[in-house]
Amino acid sequence: MAVGQRTSDDASAPAQGWGLNTWDSPWLNFKFLLGAGIVLLILLFGLVGPLFWDTDLAYTGAGPLNKPPVWDEGGLPEHPLGTESNGRDMLAQLILATPSSLKVGFLAAIIGMGIGMALGSVAGYVGGWWDHVIRTLSDSAVTIPALVVLVVIASYVQMTDTTAMALILALFAWPGPTRLVRSQVLTLRERSYVRMAHLSGASALEIMFVEMLPNMLPWLAASLTGGISAAILGATGLEVLGLGPTRVPSLGLIINQATTNAALVRGLVWWWLPPIIILMVIFVGFFLMTIGLDEIANPRIRQFSSTRRERTAAGELPPVEPIEDGTAGEEEAALEVDDLHVHYFTPRGEVIAANGVNFSVRKGEILGLVGESGCGKTTVAMAILQVVQPPGRIVQGAVRIEDRDLVSLSGRDLRQVRWRDLALVPQGAMNSLNPVTPIREQMADAILAHENIGRAELEQRILNLLNDVGLPERVIDMFPHELSGGMKQRVCIAMSIALNPQVIIADEPTSALDVVVQRVVAQTLLEVKERLGVSMVMIGHDMGLQAQLVDRIAVMYAGNLVEVAPVESAFAEPLHPYTQLLIESIPSIRERKPLNVTEGLTHDLRDPPPGCIFQFRCKHVERICRERRPELVERDDDHLVACWLYEPERHSLIESEEA
Amino acid sequence: MRGLTKEYVLQRFLMYLLTIWLGSTLIFVIPRLAPGDPVSEMVGRLSLDSGYIENADKLIASWKARFGLDAPIHVQYFRYWGNVFRLNFGYSLSHFPTEAWSMVSRALPWSLGLLTVATVLSFSIGVTVGSLMGWRRTPRWLQMILPSSLAFTAIPYFMFGIMLIYLVAFELDWLPATGAYSRRVDPGWNLPFIKNMLSHAILPVVSIVLTSMGGWALGMRGLMISVNNEDYFLLAQVKGLSPARIFFRYGVRNAILPALTALALGLGGLISGSILVEFIFAYPGTGYSLYQAIISQDYTVTQAIANLIILVTATSVFLLDLLYPFIDPRITYKRTMR
Repeated sequence: MAVGQRTSDDASAPAQGWGLNTWDSPWLNFKFLLGAGIVLLILLFGLVGPLFWDTDLAYTGAGPLNKPPVWDEGGLPEHPLGTESNGRDMLAQLILATPSSLKVGFLAAIIGMGIGMALGSVAGYVGGWWDHVIRTLSDSAVTIPALVVLVVIASYVQMTDTTAMALILALFAWPGPTRLVRSQVLTLRERSYVRMAHLSGASALEIMFVEMLPNMLPWLAASLTGGISAAILGATGLEVLGLGPTRVPSLGLIINQATTNAALVRGLVWWWLPPIIILMVIFVGFFLMTIGLDEIANPRIRQFSSTRRERTAAGELPPVEPIEDGTAGEEEAALEVDDLHVHYFTPRGEVIAANGVNFSVRKGEILGLVGESGCGKTTVAMAILQVVQPPGRIVQGAVRIEDRDLVSLSGRDLRQVRWRDLALVPQGAMNSLNPVTPIREQMADAILAHENIGRAELEQRILNLLNDVGLPERVIDMFPHELSGGMKQRVCIAMSIALNPQVIIADEPTSALDVVVQRVVAQTLLEVKERLGVSMVMIGHDMGLQAQLVDRIAVMYAGNLVEVAPVESAFAEPLHPYTQLLIESIPSIRERKPLNVTEGLTHDLRDPPPGCIFQFRCKHVERICRERRPELVERDDDHLVACWLYEPERHSLIESEEA
Repeated sequence: MRGLTKEYVLQRFLMYLLTIWLGSTLIFVIPRLAPGDPVSEMVGRLSLDSGYIENADKLIASWKARFGLDAPIHVQYFRYWGNVFRLNFGYSLSHFPTEAWSMVSRALPWSLGLLTVATVLSFSIGVTVGSLMGWRRTPRWLQMILPSSLAFTAIPYFMFGIMLIYLVAFELDWLPATGAYSRRVDPGWNLPFIKNMLSHAILPVVSIVLTSMGGWALGMRGLMISVNNEDYFLLAQVKGLSPARIFFRYGVRNAILPALTALALGLGGLISGSILVEFIFAYPGTGYSLYQAIISQDYTVTQAIANLIILVTATSVFLLDLLYPFIDPRITYKRTMR
């Protein structure tokens, strides 16, 4: 195990380099905090400025004309940022203008948010006619070019102060929040805790504020920061056009005066540039806050950025070393899985999802891989297919088809083997077909990636495949949303046999279907297997179904194989205590027995105990089980088990060690 | 079942009418809700400018009669709608014998050209960048470079435009700063004119594209990340398809659907922003004309342009809506099911 040991040590190192936002509150998002800091700083400039600088200098005639800033030639120390063509001091103007620009934005966005929350929650919660009206109104209002209407309004209504401006801007600030709150309420309404609150008699307002609001908070905050910057942009736009309040200083007004006085042509950079810089800093601040909040609200984005970091870390690991003595497996094996280790490099440590899994699938047989949820059976399937998703990674082992190790293949070599030799019937047939392309194209895709055939032949082949799984020919032109769950799953089966692969991995192929359809799909799988003589790995947790379908069964517990046996002997004479437990828990109509349910996993997958993996749930646990890991050993004819109970020498093993 | 259904088209068309009605009504109602009325306001401003106007009261009364502002508000409203429908807004006040509509229609091609080019460029570049950013298989060097294209995302178009004018037009003198073409070329389908016209369009287009593509990119990145986790995306990998095919047919093809919705919803904002860009670059499109109409207090032209912009925006959204069922087969299906 020297190799495995080293690899896992190296891999755990980068996991410690994780930043703030993993073990602390998600609000400690770097972008959000940076943005908030920038906005606060700008606000502070406007609020504290008047204490240090005489803002009366912001008015006409307060100083000499067109003086450059102090660091330029001709600049005056009493006007550090220079003066413009009316003799107004630039620093004083900026100090007065900044807070008023911010105020308009905050006010308009908060009013808009208030309206939006009221309308959105009514639409989402009350629904019906109200929802229809509010949704239609906000959908169409959101497409009206706001500034056009604002400009027209502003040309009639003399806006005297920033509050009037904010009120008018708020006219266009409500549709966004309304749409957001509505969709959030609709989603949250279906969550069980909200339903529970409803059943327990909480009032609509209570549910809204206690159950829903906290869950929408990041979304609302992102919408608010986005709204503030949109409102500042609208206000500044009006001011730049000279349609804002002209008596109150504002950043847009300074730009307007600069451009109408040809400051650009005259080279008076210090006139037009500083307000633009301040505005840009404000917008960058709000923008950072918004995307930070987006990451807080949408964990997938956060996860993606972090798995990229993880992948970089995992990418530095040495590549998996091929196992040389690979011929140890059986001669007639179609697929060999050899000492497979898959680890997930999560922020909280390295999760061992598959720990030295060994098995082979013989030609023409169905091997069942069973175990409770989370035991690693799907991880093994993904590892065989070479699609372990980051932060997961195969750290050791080999997956062989016809003496080619898939783990060591990549790029074009791997693509060639995929589907031609190794196909998949996926777990979630509901979502495994591309929703926007017809079945024809999805099946053609798989065939054309590996074979070069003409159109007519391709069409005939697809029709034959559909026929093979008992689907009518018209399915070829249908879209996934037009098919039922069972039909989709049969399309997936048809697709999997398109290239006559050596091995098909069927990942819980029937789990999402109702019982009758389950039978049809299982029957289809069996027929296909009989006709083509294909080998199959059938993953599932339904022992009853497995008993009817598979030839041999492999039982997995906490990332380890604990028993591999022909299905008859596994059911007649299960050796491992965990297999016994699984078989006992199959419900039976003939006798009512108490459900023998014990608690699920009892150890931490990041830190498996020494000794047997099942020790905490096992009735027969002995001293050696706590100290040494049992190997998978053949105890009966073709019946392998990893359990000390069947090792006659187990007592002497411990004693000899102590001696 | 697929493509357009009568019901879907009808529903979208009603939305189209509603949007136009809402926008035009806002333009009609808000000025009348405000204290005072547009005419008194205008005359008041005139007298502020010139000091004093003789017979201001008579002037106000006659202008009110001229615009029908003395009629009851509902009569005004119906007349207003009659005008909007016939695209008849009367004569321009500042260029009297010219009709408001003819002034507007002269400006429209410039804006349409500028905005179409800018929107298509910014959307397609943004979507490409975002898709690559959200794809697990994007080469690492590309992943490092791509975020730099977001640098100008937070900056409003027109501010970026001012800086571009200053740097590229005045300091470096590479491109013309303002206008749609120089006086020295003859407008028409000749090469010098087209070259001249294009050189004038570069800076406005660049300032819109560079500042708006980041928004599309960020949105697309999030959508692409979601698609990355879909079962069909995984199955496409297992099928042994080439990365390019997975990326386009399974990734982008699905992720772009909400982005197109966002485009339809964002058109209004884009057009709003372009008004300021036209103002900054003195580009003779509708936005610039709107500004000029407002500073010359040309009441009729202002109305005409505002309504036209609302109409054009709503039409583009409507066309995008009609396109959508062809890209997403599920849209009309759901509706016919219920």
